[in-house]
Amino acid sequence: MHIATRQLGSHTVVDVQGDIDLYNSPEVRKVILEELKEKKVPRLIVNLTGVRYIDSSGVASLVEGLKISRSLSSRFMLYGLSPAAREVLELSRLIRVFEVYGTEQEALQAK
Amino acid sequence: MDNAVKLSFPSDPRLLGVVRGAIERFAALVGFDEEDCRWITLAVHEALTNVIRHAYHNRHDQPVELRLKERDGGMEVLMVDHGTGVKQEQMCGRDLDDVRPGGLGLHMIREIMNETEYMPLDGRNELRLFKRKGSKSSVGE
Repeated sequence: MHIATRQLGSHTVVDVQGDIDLYNSPEVRKVILEELKEKKVPRLIVNLTGVRYIDSSGVASLVEGLKISRSLSSRFMLYGLSPAAREVLELSRLIRVFEVYGTEQEALQAK
Repeated sequence: MDNAVKLSFPSDPRLLGVVRGAIERFAALVGFDEEDCRWITLAVHEALTNVIRHAYHNRHDQPVELRLKERDGGMEVLMVDHGTGVKQEQMCGRDLDDVRPGGLGLHMIREIMNETEYMPLDGRNELRLFKRKGSKSSVGE
């Protein structure tokens, strides 16, 4: 798995590539929490277009990011979910709690 | 003779991707469609991560045995570990209306598989899962 961040105006984009599972979800969690808690970014977008597979530990990392963003009044968005990633969020009934967009442009333009 | 595969490997999270590949391909061999292959793989993967985290407390050198078998119009998975057993009453998935990290794996397994049977037996824990062909998972219900 590879993870990197980039800045697009007031938005911070976290690009994740590869499977997110028990082995590497701690790294995803670390990057997300660092951006939110330490750098205090106002808008965090997680790009999942390169993620084919995500398990419950990966979902837990995203939920933790969402909860912390809410407590800090920042915004937490996802885009580019693969069918498998979407299915996992639907199965856990968490798809409704996230702001999910199809493309980066849609996430950037979200009101 | 029905198809069957036996895998033995250490409880190392780095191997999860390798094991997922084997599960998904075996499910396809049994005749599940692409979507069901993904579901079955997810369920078995979640069971395996529970073994690593809860039975072996994140130790990465402990033995895990996985038997995949085609039977009765479906696929049976038997997972064996020698870690800390869990009591049946402790095996409760979390309330899905409670939005918080963790506690999702067991819920996923139960939603996906038709049968789930856990047997802690004298230092040896067995988890048997069964998925019937043509039975859909209750996604998002």
